[in-house]
Amino acid sequence: MFNYFHNHIQALNRALVRVFSNFGSSLMMFIVIGVTLFLPSSGLLIVENVSQISNNIAYDAELSLFLKKSIKQDQIDFIQSALDKSLIIKKTHFESKLTAWDKLQSKLNLNPLDTGISENPLPDAFFISLNTFNEKEINTLISNLKNIDGVKNIFFDAGWVKKLRSILYLLKIGLFLLGSILIIVLIVVISNTIRLQTLTHKDEIEVSKLIGATNSFIQRPFMYTGLIYGLGGGLITICTLKLAIEIFNKASINLEAMLGGTFILKSLGWNQNLGIIIVAMLIGCFASFFAAQQSIRKFEIFK
Amino acid sequence: MINFEKVFKRYPGNLDALQNINLEILPAELVFVTGPSGAGKSTLLKLISSVEKPTSGTIVFENMNLSQLQPRDIPYLRRKFGMIFQDNKLLYDRNCFENVSLPLAINDIDGIDINRRVRAALDKVGLLNKEKIMPISLSGGEQQRLAIARAIVSRPSILIADEPTGNLDKEYADEIMNIFYSFQQVGVTVIISTHELPITPIKFKKIHLIGGELNNQINNVQLLS
Repeated sequence: MFNYFHNHIQALNRALVRVFSNFGSSLMMFIVIGVTLFLPSSGLLIVENVSQISNNIAYDAELSLFLKKSIKQDQIDFIQSALDKSLIIKKTHFESKLTAWDKLQSKLNLNPLDTGISENPLPDAFFISLNTFNEKEINTLISNLKNIDGVKNIFFDAGWVKKLRSILYLLKIGLFLLGSILIIVLIVVISNTIRLQTLTHKDEIEVSKLIGATNSFIQRPFMYTGLIYGLGGGLITICTLKLAIEIFNKASINLEAMLGGTFILKSLGWNQNLGIIIVAMLIGCFASFFAAQQSIRKFEIFK
Repeated sequence: MINFEKVFKRYPGNLDALQNINLEILPAELVFVTGPSGAGKSTLLKLISSVEKPTSGTIVFENMNLSQLQPRDIPYLRRKFGMIFQDNKLLYDRNCFENVSLPLAINDIDGIDINRRVRAALDKVGLLNKEKIMPISLSGGEQQRLAIARAIVSRPSILIADEPTGNLDKEYADEIMNIFYSFQQVGVTVIISTHELPITPIKFKKIHLIGGELNNQINNVQLLS
């Protein structure tokens, strides 16, 4: 087991020597991977920031529950107790039709005698603040409330948040597609580089095969090279994102006075940054494995 | 140890490199494969070391039928052989020590043992003081000795050398041959292909090929008598 790890360490050493002995071209490869991954990562950053805003708004979403005019007080009490039992309701506020009518009159400076309105046209209403934005839970609550006797209409006052959510969802799908295409591009670029490396190490591969090396032994340094490319590329992506956030936020603060507000971008979390590095390393490893395997098969000497 | 039975090797284009070869090589034997250019000497050695597969016939090595060997088993079989090539196939981007340590790395030998065994192999061929030198700065004879060190470092039971002295002058060639004889003396089977049979008092077997066919298979004991 120790020898197995020793062998991996040797392969890693050989890969490091290959990367640093051609540092110029390795740096170019880091930049290619870094910049290519920057595009979907910056998209993810924007979607994450906008999602946070929409999530905050979502907690303020309200249901307006309008009751029938003929409703009796015991029915209102029953609805109140039903609302109190629901776990997804943060708070409820009951607005009686009399209070609402008084407020409306004072706000609009209306006199019933002047307007010719003989009776209060407003119904009793509950205004409900929700502590969730889960569509399924809200729909269940609405359908349950609709079945209660005395309830006339229910309005969900977060339609635009819903639209924003839908746009963000579409953006996420777009980013996923863009990311997938760019990953394919990266695999092709890294594969080609590794394929060229196998050609420059043709003698070494042939000699190793002749003296009993397995294909996995020969492939190992190339795979570690791919992993190092991925690591370097991932780090460049994260550094570029940090730099872009800094520049954007500084510009946003400078324009605060002109725009009357700021939009500060928050950095991705450590787990998301780690995710970018892992994805980059996996792309590098997969691409180099694929390219090295194909090339080494071509050098097969057992005929 | 090695048995050839009705072995044929045909390359694309209907070129019969070897035809109906029957032979036996015993453990600790010194074997010379002789014949003119194109006689099939290198092909014979490649068949023994599983670098090539026979078109038909059976090659048995240590109770293994090499003709039926799975590709995944071939690397492990090749580790049993120490191979020396006419062009020595050294890696010129690695120093002498790194060239010789390659078979040990392939065999999963640990670092301390690698150091010890590489130095012992380099000492055996007289290159211990040149372990950090790149092979390009060695003479032709030294390069071939380095190739021998690489072949013996993993302590194989069979040494296979394809015209190891082909590019060397007589003095260097004798030096290399003496190294091979010393291995045979300690129980290693040594198979050497060569144009000309060297003069040696050591008992050996001669396999003479002409046009891909076995001309004769005789011991120098018979030759001397």
